Amino acid sequence: MEQILKDFISALRSSGARISIPETIDAMNTVKLTGYHDREVFKDSLSAVLAKSFHEKEIFEECFYRFFSFDTFSENIGDSPESLAPEVMEEISPLSQMILSGNLGGLAASIREAAREVRITGIQFFTQKGLYIHRILRHIGLNGLNQDIKRLFQKDTLSSKQMAEKLEKGKDYLFENVKDFVEQQFALFSPSVTENLLEDYLKSIKLSNLEQRDFHRMHSIIQKMVKRLNDLHSRRRKTSKRGQLDFRKTLRNNISYQGLLFDIQWKKKKVDRPDIVALCDVSRSVETVARFLLLFLYSLNKSLARIRTFIFCSNLIEVSHIFDEYPVEDALVKLQSGIGLGIVLGRTDYGQAFRDFEESWSHLITKKTTVLILGDARNNYGDPQTGILKSMQERGKRLIWLNSEPRSFWGIGDSEMKKYLPYCHLARECNTVHHLERVVDSLLSLAL
Amino acid sequence: MNLIHDKKFASIENVQLGLKNAEYICSKKIATTVYLAYHLEKPILVEGPAGVGKTELAKTAAAFLGVSLIRMQCYEGLDESKALYEWKYGKQLLYTQMLKDKLNDVLKGAKGLSASIDKLHQYNDIFFSLSFLEPRPLLKALQQKDGAVLLIDEIDKSDHEFEAFLLEILSDFQVSIPEIDTIHAETKPFVFLTSNNTRELSEALKRRCLHLYIPLPDPKLEREIIRIRVPGISEKLRIQLVSFIQQLRELDIKKIPSISETIDWARVLLLLHADKLSADLISETLHIILKFEGDIKIAEEHLYEMTRKAIKEAAI
Repeated sequence: MEQILKDFISALRSSGARISIPETIDAMNTVKLTGYHDREVFKDSLSAVLAKSFHEKEIFEECFYRFFSFDTFSENIGDSPESLAPEVMEEISPLSQMILSGNLGGLAASIREAAREVRITGIQFFTQKGLYIHRILRHIGLNGLNQDIKRLFQKDTLSSKQMAEKLEKGKDYLFENVKDFVEQQFALFSPSVTENLLEDYLKSIKLSNLEQRDFHRMHSIIQKMVKRLNDLHSRRRKTSKRGQLDFRKTLRNNISYQGLLFDIQWKKKKVDRPDIVALCDVSRSVETVARFLLLFLYSLNKSLARIRTFIFCSNLIEVSHIFDEYPVEDALVKLQSGIGLGIVLGRTDYGQAFRDFEESWSHLITKKTTVLILGDARNNYGDPQTGILKSMQERGKRLIWLNSEPRSFWGIGDSEMKKYLPYCHLARECNTVHHLERVVDSLLSLAL
Repeated sequence: MNLIHDKKFASIENVQLGLKNAEYICSKKIATTVYLAYHLEKPILVEGPAGVGKTELAKTAAAFLGVSLIRMQCYEGLDESKALYEWKYGKQLLYTQMLKDKLNDVLKGAKGLSASIDKLHQYNDIFFSLSFLEPRPLLKALQQKDGAVLLIDEIDKSDHEFEAFLLEILSDFQVSIPEIDTIHAETKPFVFLTSNNTRELSEALKRRCLHLYIPLPDPKLEREIIRIRVPGISEKLRIQLVSFIQQLRELDIKKIPSISETIDWARVLLLLHADKLSADLISETLHIILKFEGDIKIAEEHLYEMTRKAIKEAAI
């Protein structure tokens, strides 16, 4: 049973539940305590020890039913066991004996045993199913069974013919059951692999190639990321003029006054959170990427208190309120269509966008502000207005430019990236989630 | 945990029955987890929607075991001086002032500074001893001779640092006080942690606990809970009420009513001497189960059909 428990845990792991070694030991102890006789209790107690969140509980339920369902071996192989001549029994293989005597439990056990021998837990792709079925059948002694059938047919007596037919029938059942078993194991051990593959794939794929249906998954990846990064904010105690009484420090400072509380110290907890101004290009040239950059900004907007978001094409407008008011899908559609927002979706004009910003919102940039610009810097040969960018850089704490084009394209054609580059503290190519992740890491780890 | 409780924890059924006698109706799953936690000596992390009886479970367990309940409410900014122990600074100061004169006697005969210091060292850290220690909930729970139920409420509200700091207590039932020593539990307390899932808890913490998810109850269980908690209520009203609440939970509303709201509502209806539900009665008392203006509006739209269904269900 220990082995079965181990298999079950590895099935859980491959379905995405994180189970550590101490938890495995707990599971063993639990089973010792509660026993196997009551299925519900068995399930509940394992669930308490192994699945540690609502999400994991769901995985657990599914796995449990799949894993422990095999024991009901489907259908009966034949009639009740007949009295068999002992000399016949000695001639035939153990597998045939089990079929003839209707030993279902034995068959189930030997399939399981064979499955373990051929390492079914390694199954990854559906194309491997046939291979594993074949291996298991060979392992439980299909060859012996075939020979028995052949020999019994050759004997040409009535009873041996009957026996051969029965074996033939048993073979079909066996085949069916092994097939079911492999299907089940595939479902148990493989989906996670596919799941992980998919997630990895989504992370490294170009944002512009992502399809609509992956959108939700993508959203959750980004959210996970933002959440993790948000947790990293440094918290530090700071001496300040008001707040909580810092007793230790007060005592220490007042030793020199003979313990009289003369110089009182206060403390306050300070959380460093970034203050961000984001400008995002939504023109045609970055249309598909923009969708995901906006999605990213949306998540940022939800998790950071101090962020102002702007979008621009031919001119620039503020959209922070749209993010606050609408759910994610509506907000993105609204921003990309630009209807009723006062944005002109004509030729991209970085110069105009910078001028607009300078005119109305330049006061937003303080020495604590990080300016984040998302765009390809393709300005249709207009005036790039590098002067404004320079002043933004000088006044702000940091200026980060995320360009959707690879570095080798920068400065080619109407791209003004080379001209903007000197004024960026950080300029990165950003068109996959991996890129985004790295950028956000550097954004927050430096406690901007 | 003490051997004297072994009888109460002899089987899962015993636990379930014991909790029921303490007016807590629980599913077998909850009983199983409590049973395991006792025998494996592990804390239970209880999660679930607000108001399903997470805190109540800990209170009942204390009543069931017949030990005191020590409760610690977590909040942002909670630190060890509030949760574990603090030195009685005032007392220390006062004593130093009072004992000033005694110092002269002690130091009598010592020549030079180093000799005085040496002499002082002969007296152990008088001011950093147990008598100057103010125990806070965690330390208090460890010091109870007969064991205790320690409830760490809404752990998700506390900071990450605090969570890490809990690990020592949860796995080894001990705390280290640098000035004194490591203090071990006299009797291991029965620990419950509750969480509303406002943030993900760390893996390390989860690993040390058994996990229990309490979902909203099914109608049968909920009727049973109402029967025990609100004894005076009529059978018919009880069925109608639960049916209505269950329907309400399927609507798309912000705050789904949980068990505590059902109990409150049942009590209110009892006070109003109602013996059956009617649409008017419900619309008058709807604000007890629903806490948002928008939710009440949505519920009112479906009020008549839901009431009809609830009455029909009770009639069967």
